[in-house]
Amino acid sequence: MSNQTKAGPISFLTELPANIWHSIFRNPLPDSDLGRSATSFTNFFLHIQPVKVHRHSLKLTYTWGLGLISLFLFLILSVTGVLLMFYYVPSTTQAYDRMLDLRGTVAFGIFLRNMHRWAAHGMVAVVFLHMCRVFLTGAYKRPREFNWIIGVGLFLLTMFSSFTGYLLPWDQLAFWAITVGTSIASYAPFVGNDVKFLLLGDTSVGQEALLRFYVLHVAVLPILVTLLIAVHFWRVRKDGGLSRPPEEDEVFPAATPEPVAMAPAAASAVVAVPAPAVKLGEKAQLEKKLYGIQGIVRGPFTKIGNVPDRSVFSWPNLVSLELLVFLITVAGVLIVSLYFNAPLEQPVNIMHPPNPAKAPWYFLGLQEMVSYSAFWGGVGIPTFEVLLLLLVPFLDRKPGGVGKWFARERLLANSLFMTFVILNIVLMIIGIFFRGPNWEFVSPW
Amino acid sequence: MAKEPRTPEEPESGEAITRRKLLGWLTGMGVFGSVLVTAFSNFIFIKPRATYGQPNRFSIGKPEDYPSGSRMTLDTRRICVVRDGDRMAAISTTCTHLGCIVATSETGFACPCHGSHYDQDGNVTGGPAPKHLAWYQVSLAPNGEIEVDKDVEITPGTYFSV
Repeated sequence: MSNQTKAGPISFLTELPANIWHSIFRNPLPDSDLGRSATSFTNFFLHIQPVKVHRHSLKLTYTWGLGLISLFLFLILSVTGVLLMFYYVPSTTQAYDRMLDLRGTVAFGIFLRNMHRWAAHGMVAVVFLHMCRVFLTGAYKRPREFNWIIGVGLFLLTMFSSFTGYLLPWDQLAFWAITVGTSIASYAPFVGNDVKFLLLGDTSVGQEALLRFYVLHVAVLPILVTLLIAVHFWRVRKDGGLSRPPEEDEVFPAATPEPVAMAPAAASAVVAVPAPAVKLGEKAQLEKKLYGIQGIVRGPFTKIGNVPDRSVFSWPNLVSLELLVFLITVAGVLIVSLYFNAPLEQPVNIMHPPNPAKAPWYFLGLQEMVSYSAFWGGVGIPTFEVLLLLLVPFLDRKPGGVGKWFARERLLANSLFMTFVILNIVLMIIGIFFRGPNWEFVSPW
Repeated sequence: MAKEPRTPEEPESGEAITRRKLLGWLTGMGVFGSVLVTAFSNFIFIKPRATYGQPNRFSIGKPEDYPSGSRMTLDTRRICVVRDGDRMAAISTTCTHLGCIVATSETGFACPCHGSHYDQDGNVTGGPAPKHLAWYQVSLAPNGEIEVDKDVEITPGTYFSV
């Protein structure tokens, strides 16, 4: 009761900053394991992550942080995209002028446009590399089949977002790339012409098409991407965290030293206290099993009982790594945007297509195939490839080789996949460097 | 502790339908049907009934504007008007491959995008184009002007006599 006599307007004021701070952040910076778990647990933004994360998931040489970089590029694209929307007008008469305004009068306009363009190129590349990582490490196998499918969906949405954004500057490159792109869509059997008409809102590329692509680009696709990212992340946790080799979860690993020696409480190393690895008989182990709330989490990766704890606290181990990847991503985009300007060609002239009219680099493999046969190159083969990608986890059910780069057990699957990847890259290189006017073969030297 | 079952007794054979099952089924179909109708209505909504672009049926002026033997390209209309004596035709200049505008060349038409070539009548002579350039219906309007309808494709080689 004696304390209450001290409470008064003066102490309210002196304690104001601290009280506001503590009302937002319930936890002080943690110095104990309990605090570290509470930090992840009570913070809205941190609770997306598990309280503890497996050591194997933190290996940068396993994931190369590609999924995270994709996310951060998407965030950069969202922020810069919303800022650009303040000045952009989706009108055939004004769009190009607004591009010039971004260059000339809008403060940081050209820089924001550069960031948006280069982050978009980066996202297409990084999402693709992420997919390669997941394939080559066999991470799509049970129980992660569905998350692979979500991932393929995100890859396609990324490409489509890029494609729709491509039209918005309304320059020559944009106009003819969209003319070619929507014509490719019209080769789809049965629905082709309807798809083209729905995309363009007209019989040819014009004001309606610009408006439609704008709405898709700034509203429909970002919402879909956000939704799928949420499902993707949720599934990562529900499927038992990132993929890792089964040895990492063995109960009594053969002659594996404890990852980190038990640190004294005063030491700064932040390590979860490993469960005591008491040698028990198989039967006794089962009897001693304790089922907690984790018991209802499905999937073979959640182990209960005498599992050696090779996980560490997300705070600060995972959070600091994520921060590092974030800083590298932002720095990369900033540096590229400082030195290279996003291209802008002549305003649209519907009488004169540029010669050759080339799509952005990541569509040039497609355009190269299209130059042989519009149906097979633009619809048949891509549809086949996407179907194959979607079916991968159901065609390859062998459990071996998960969680390792270039696992011997996965030689066949990895070789097949790399053949497709290299073929597509070769087509892209031919399209970028070896095609000149009238799409004739030229030497870049 | 003999308790009355809270749910109605399951029928002996699995095929008989209980009231609960039927109502559940009807509700499910109702919801599913509503979703389908909603999706379909949205689809109808985004398919425009009228377009704001250029009309597909337009006048290209008097026949006298096109001297015999001339081949005039109307870029904005994306057609090439051919006159041969008393015969006239309108050939599309939109490449049948991927929609680029073909340029007139000495031998006919050539596409700058993917290298398709056509002869004077629009037949494919090379490149990836899958079919000949379209020929559109030409007619004489009551006011004496030539009218082209891009919605009506005619057999190549069919001329209109003026």
